[in-house]
Amino acid sequence: MRLSIFRFDPDRDRKPYMQDYELVPEPSERMLLDVLVRLKTVDDSLTFRRSCREGVCGSDAMNINGRNGLACITPVSGLKEPVELRPLPSFPVIRDLVVDMSQFFKQYHSIRPYLINDEPEPDKERVQSPEERAQLDGLYECILCACCTSQCPSSWWNPEKFVGPAGLLQAYRFIVDSRDRAGAQRLDDLNDPFRLFRCRTIMNCTEVCPRGLSPSRAIEKIRLMMVKASL
Amino acid sequence: MRHALSGLNAWLVQRLSAVYSLLFIVYLSLHFLLEPPGSYEQWQQWMRQPLVSTASLIFFGALSLHMWVGLRDVVLDYVHSPGLRVCLLASVAIGLAAMAAWTARILLG
Ligand code: SF4
Ligand code: SF4
Ligand code: FES
Repeated sequence: MRLSIFRFDPDRDRKPYMQDYELVPEPSERMLLDVLVRLKTVDDSLTFRRSCREGVCGSDAMNINGRNGLACITPVSGLKEPVELRPLPSFPVIRDLVVDMSQFFKQYHSIRPYLINDEPEPDKERVQSPEERAQLDGLYECILCACCTSQCPSSWWNPEKFVGPAGLLQAYRFIVDSRDRAGAQRLDDLNDPFRLFRCRTIMNCTEVCPRGLSPSRAIEKIRLMMVKASL
Repeated sequence: MRHALSGLNAWLVQRLSAVYSLLFIVYLSLHFLLEPPGSYEQWQQWMRQPLVSTASLIFFGALSLHMWVGLRDVVLDYVHSPGLRVCLLASVAIGLAAMAAWTARILLG
């Protein structure tokens, strides 16, 4: 199997370059991450993030043959060779495949990703009916891998001002939560020319999400809620 | 930044003006296909009917607003220096307003 991997060590390299690797995957090495882990035993300078190796932590997002995805759930079979691996597009590179996620998490925090409810606390818990709970399906599963935001043109042009698909999916997740009381403020906070309305419904986000979630649909729903609230 | 044509309002203006313009263009095409005016005078007469001239006026208004939101989006996406951004937005606004005013003069004159 042939791979071509983006390399950059700011302490040693003046500019990034692509390095070629070749190896024969063992039958047990079925996912791209397995191959990367083995490559690291050969070349320990190769740097990438990973943790859960089963698609739930979101740390090994990278650009695989031009498309963002998680290496740990990308099967090796079927990948066009040489497999081109690059860091998440538009994110600042720290080293090799490791990128700086600060901006991404800043946008995530800006939507206040927690329940806001000043009503007196009930004895036990804030109960949700099964229907209310079902509203969160397709939203709570997000692992903040940034595959979507890094592939969104609107986020490329205005990363500081546009919240981006991942943040907006989470904004919607809290707007529709029956236990949250800040829905109106949340909508108001997104109603400016940049925070939500830079989205052009290009739908790269939905196309690329490794969890099969649909940020573009969440964005559409927020818009409709804004329209309703303004009537 | 929460002026009249920000976030949601701009988006609504874009959608509504698009729908109106589309309907108007369909109506206009059908009219010219089914009942093409025989002469310049006939065409002028048709245009002078209050309903037609009002509808055209609204159409050019909608078109200008639609162009404003679209061009504004392009500037907000790609132009990041505040000074240049303001200059470009101002020239787009002035240009569109001038064109709209000129069109209104022709239609009402
Ligand atoms: S929406 Fe999907 S692609 Fe985006 S951060 Fe969440 S899991 Fe990743
Ligand atoms: S639909 Fe919106 S958020 Fe998703 S990729 Fe397109 S512009 Fe970005
Ligand atoms: S290693 Fe956790 S998502 Fe891939």
